[in-house]
Amino acid sequence: MLPPIEEIETERIHAKDDKARKASRRSIDVDMNPMVDLAFLLLTFFMLATTFSKPQAMELLVPAKPDEEEAERETPVKESKTLSLVLREDKVVWYRGITDPATAELPYENGPLLDLLGSHNAEIDGLVVLVKPLPESNAENLVTVLDALNVSNVQRYALAEPSAFDLEFSEEDAVPVNNRENPVP
Amino acid sequence: MPRYRNIRKKPKLDMNPMVDMAFLLVSFFMMATTFKAELPEEVRIPASSSEVKLPEKGLCTITIGAGGKVYFSVDNKFERKRILDAAGRHYGLSFTENQRRAFALAGGHGVPVAELPAFLDAKVENRPYEQPGIPLGPDGELRRWILTARTVNPRLRFAVNADARAKYPEIHAVIETFRDLNITRFSIVTDLKTSRASAD
Repeated sequence: MLPPIEEIETERIHAKDDKARKASRRSIDVDMNPMVDLAFLLLTFFMLATTFSKPQAMELLVPAKPDEEEAERETPVKESKTLSLVLREDKVVWYRGITDPATAELPYENGPLLDLLGSHNAEIDGLVVLVKPLPESNAENLVTVLDALNVSNVQRYALAEPSAFDLEFSEEDAVPVNNRENPVP
Repeated sequence: MPRYRNIRKKPKLDMNPMVDMAFLLVSFFMMATTFKAELPEEVRIPASSSEVKLPEKGLCTITIGAGGKVYFSVDNKFERKRILDAAGRHYGLSFTENQRRAFALAGGHGVPVAELPAFLDAKVENRPYEQPGIPLGPDGELRRWILTARTVNPRLRFAVNADARAKYPEIHAVIETFRDLNITRFSIVTDLKTSRASAD
């Protein structure tokens, strides 16, 4: 195999030069390919290991446990201003007031929940929403409802223990009521 | 003749700019990376539209698995060692240097204190994948761990990382533990709801 033409020419032109000078003139050629391989290997590793989307968080404020003195000073809330959301496994049961309320249910979807909360929030001044998750409900249900509360800008809401009524009610199946057509008195 | 020459000539690429670029990217990713603490159980985070970011430092995360098992983790590994020491003092256990290092390196733990030395002695690959979870309740160990973590770092923030399928009683127990310790402000870890997800 013939050497490339430039090399032949170089040989010819500098044939008379001494060996040392020739060696010093030759440029040092480092093979960069392994380095590139390595760099890209590391790059791939870090790209795959990186998580850019940091998890979001939802701030939740819970009341401190009251001592006995404080428990007496708790401000009562008007029954008519409360909206209870009972979280069941696959739907939200809601009602207004506490005594003998008419109940209705909603699916766990943002649209209906936002409609319900939005209309009540506009209608009732100082609305208090009581979120009562039943043991069968899960974290997703809770987060969905809390998110809807945040989005619809409800100022006062609280996690509450389900009352006997809620538990009893959850045993039997509610008759689905379309809330917007039959508003609860 | 010139045609021969072109064919014979070995193509030579200057790799230097490529190396430069590759290492630039490597250094960027190295610095941007924060390795996620390895969770003992995979958690499917519920979606919400909240855009608040979790604090990056000084965070204590209580993870609730889908089956209701509770795990405890703190993000700073130096604090983790001190938490282990303090908890050991309370429970009358002393840990070896290897155990302390294992605890600092573990992403979190979900074993009762009695099982902790055995858990830390086990090699990572032999560690039981199924951890029983930390006992809850008003006198449970979770309360003690949170209390200890708070003594080590009073400015610690708390987050509940609950799996979407975790049932409410465990969540309630964790929230009650927080309330019991006068931690009235904490975060629930959520995933940003994408527009696609909210559409369906």
